[in-house]
Formats: sequence, C-alpha cells, structure tokens
Amino acid sequence: MNNNPPIEIAPQSLRLFHQSLFKTLVYFFLLILVLAGVYKAFPLVIDALFFIVIAAIMTAVFNPIVDRLESSGIKRIYSTLMVFGGIFGIVGLGIVKGIPALLIEIGKIRDVIQQNATTDSLDTIMKSINLKIAAVVPGFQLDPDMISSLSAQFFGQLGSILAGALDTVATIIFILIITMFFLVDGTRMTKKLIGMVPNRYFEMSLNISYKTKKQLTNFLKGQLLAALGVAIQSIIGLNLLNWLFDANISGVMLIGSIAGLANMIPFVGPFMGMIPAIIVSLFNNLGDPVAATHFYFIVHIIVMFLIVQMIDNNIISPIVVSGSMDMHPLTVILLILVGSKIGVLGMFLAVPAWGISKVIIQEVYQGLKGHHLI
Amino acid sequence: MKENPKVSYPLYESFKDKLKPKRSQAQMVLSKVNVFSRLSWQEIKIIENAIHIRNYAPGEPIFKQGDPGSGMYIIIEGSVGIFLDIPNQSPKQLSKLGDGDFFGEIALLDESPRTAAATSLENSTIIGFYRPDLMNILRTKPALGAKVLLALSEVLAVRLRSTNGELVKITRHLESQEGSEDHE
Repeated sequence: MNNNPPIEIAPQSLRLFHQSLFKTLVYFFLLILVLAGVYKAFPLVIDALFFIVIAAIMTAVFNPIVDRLESSGIKRIYSTLMVFGGIFGIVGLGIVKGIPALLIEIGKIRDVIQQNATTDSLDTIMKSINLKIAAVVPGFQLDPDMISSLSAQFFGQLGSILAGALDTVATIIFILIITMFFLVDGTRMTKKLIGMVPNRYFEMSLNISYKTKKQLTNFLKGQLLAALGVAIQSIIGLNLLNWLFDANISGVMLIGSIAGLANMIPFVGPFMGMIPAIIVSLFNNLGDPVAATHFYFIVHIIVMFLIVQMIDNNIISPIVVSGSMDMHPLTVILLILVGSKIGVLGMFLAVPAWGISKVIIQEVYQGLKGHHLI
Repeated sequence: MKENPKVSYPLYESFKDKLKPKRSQAQMVLSKVNVFSRLSWQEIKIIENAIHIRNYAPGEPIFKQGDPGSGMYIIIEGSVGIFLDIPNQSPKQLSKLGDGDFFGEIALLDESPRTAAATSLENSTIIGFYRPDLMNILRTKPALGAKVLLALSEVLAVRLRSTNGELVKITRHLESQEGSEDHE
C-alpha cells in the first residue's frame, strides 16, 4: 500500500507552467502561420528576388556610364535619365524594327525546312553525309526525317521564344524601372543596408560590398565586351562568307548575336554559336546541287568561327575579361546540366551566375580572413 | 533723457531665422577637421551623404591592431583610446582622443594593417569615412575628391615633417650619448 502523501503542486508553479504552455502554443501557432505565409508567398518572393537580381546585374553594367556622366558635372538623376533614354531608344527600335523582321526571317527558314523535308535534295544531302560518316564511323546513319523534325522544332521554339519576349515587355520595363532606382539611389540604399550591420563587422562588410561591386562590374563589363566582340566578328565573318563564297546564310545579325551570347559559356559556347549558322546555311543551300553535294560551306563556317575564337581567346578576352572564369571543364558541364533544368535561359545563365557567385565568395572569404574572423 | 526705442522688424526677424542655413552636427564637426576644413558647405553636404555615423558603447573596439585599414574616424561626441598591443602584457594606451579629434586617416590611402587598436572609452558617436566612400567621390565628383586628397596629403606631410624632426632629435641624442661613452 502506498503511504506516500499525494504530490502537491504549488499554485504559483502551476500558473507558471500554464503560462509557459500557453506561450509555447502561441509561438507554435505563429510559427505555423509564418511557415504557411512563406509557403504561399514563396513564388512571389522568388519572382521579386529574380527581378532584383537582374536589376542589380544591369545596375552593375550601367553604373560606370552613369558615374562617368555624373563626373562631367551632370546631376546623377539626369545622367541616369540620359542612359535610360538611350536604352529605351535602342530597345524600342529593336522591338519596332528588329523583332518583326526576325519573326519573318524565322518563318521563312521554317517554311524552307518544312517544304524541303521530304524533297529529293534533302535525301541527297543525307545520303552524301551518311557516306562521309560511314567512312569514319561504320554503321552510323543519319535519318533525314529526324534532322528535319529537330530543325523545325528548333526554329519553331525560337519563334515562340521571340513571340514570348514580346509578351514580357512589361516585365522588362518593370526591371528597367527597378534598375533606374538602383542607379539613382543605389549608394544611399547600400549605405542604409550596411548601416544595419553591427560595429564589429561594419568595416569588413563595407569593404566586401565595395570590392564585390567592383569585381562584379569588371567581370560583367569584360564578359559583355567579349560577347560584343564575338558577335561583331561573327556578323562580319558571315557576311564575308556570303560575299566571297556565296554561302547563302540568312539572318546573319541573329546568328551573330546568338554566337556572341553563347560565347559567355566557356568550352561549349563557341560550338553553340556555330550550330545555328550551319543549320541555316544547310537549309538555304538545299536547292543548290553543287553545294548540297560537297558541303564546302559548312567547312567555311567552321573555319570562320574557329578564326573568331582564335581572335577572341588570344586578343580580345585577355584585354577585356579581367576576372577570368577559370573553371574546370567538368564544372562547366555540370553547371550547364543543372541550368538545363530551368530551360534555355538557365543553360545560358548557369556559368556566368557561378562566375559571379565565385567572385562574391572569394571576397567574403578574404574579408573574413583579413579581419581575423575565421 | 529719453531712451531711443529699439526698432524691430518682425517680418525680417521671422525670415532671418528661416533663411539661416541649418547645419547638422556632423556638418559642423566635418568643417572643423583639417581634411575637410577648406571645403564649401555644399561640398561638406556631399561628404555628409557619404559618411557613416556609428554609435559605440564603452569598451567597444572600433578597430583592432592588425585589421586591414579601411578609413578614418572623427569623434562627434565621446572619447576614444588608442592602444598598442604588446605581447604578454596588457595593451598600452598611447593617447586619448575627444570631441572633434580624428584618427586612422592613413587607411584612406592604403589597406595596410592598423598599427594600433582604437577603443571607445564611453558612449561615443563617431563618423566613419572609408576608402570606398572616398573612391565613390573620386569617381563621381573628381574635383571634390582631389580637394580631399590634397588636404589629406597636407595633413600627412605635416605629420611626416614632424616625425622627421623627432627622428633628427633622437639621432642627435643617440650620437651625443655614443660620443660621451667613447670619451669616457
């Protein structure tokens, strides 16, 4: 028999227990509310972050121009407005003149592909290609239907991408407005943001912010200048091929621009830039029996792009690209694979995004090490 | 004798106060620092937009010895001790700075490690003017940046001259000591 007296709980401890239980329940409820809010608002937050990141990158690109104008005595707001006048002018001209022309060009190429998909000339080309491949890789055969459907799909998608771009003009304008605010008030915003950092980390944060911004600007400026260099060279080269060898390549401006943008991806980029030119010339030359038999124009295109790459790698890039990406080929392939999960844009942005992150990580690490915090 | 009544112009008086430019405490402090003393009020306002005002608690370090230097500090209110860390000993206080004093200006020019530590001795409000801020001014307002750099060079030149004078004195003192030892 248990003779122990019943345990008595002091009323005060019981009240404290109830209070703490109530507090825990309230916190738990609030946590669930916050988590639910975050879960619901997550896509919105991601969208907002995406806009901010793109606007920040654009700010890094245009900031040196605004600074230069401001240093000549023009107020910052007017300098920014002048730069934006230029951007809106170029973008507007591109939309009004360029996109309809490009859509017509793409439509023409698609029509040619669809018309010739079952013609004898395509079969002739395929037979000739297969004969040449069989000499190197016995047993390997290219299917004409597969090639034509793949090409039609490629150009069909390109058309829809451009058509989609027209729909997203509003988004672009929104990003441009954020960029404008960043350019005018960026320094004050950064100052406010860094002002919240505790004293202990303040100097380090300020230094990291400044150096990262500088590195990022140099990196982007270098990348864009190199891309512009490759685009201009490709356009000149393709025009020369048309002029000297009657290569019959249409959409030279578009192909050159794709080659320039693709060049931002190391190793794979140059080949990505070459492919549209080869496909377009292949289908533009379907009617020409001599060209369709010998494919010398493909060799010309490859040689032209190799020359462009040589000039870029040996002259332009060493001068303009200050922060080289310096990546292992395997890293690049992995990044492109990861980027492909997001789509074509992801493939394009994966390597430059990694390059930017690398610069930021390096600066943060050096800052922490310099201030003996790690 | 009849005293002349003082003529007052209420309208003028009310406008006089309103028209009088209002200067912030930071602007007033900046205008008294050698590096900025020759700047116009408009230029000081630009500097004010670039600086960072920080509050430090008693005993809180502003920077430590060996940290990479990032900029100069100007005390608005409070006091700061400059300490030298000596291995196996407690830090030696080199000086105590008060309202309007500035320190760490060499760090505006290079990133070499701080040669001493600075610690707030009481609740202090301090202006921080850092190299990134100076670089920003040099990039966007080159004429103002050049004025600041010139003034900074003058401050450093005065300090270098004074250090050279001290060095000459010490060298002479050492030479005279060596001479007297040889004589003995």
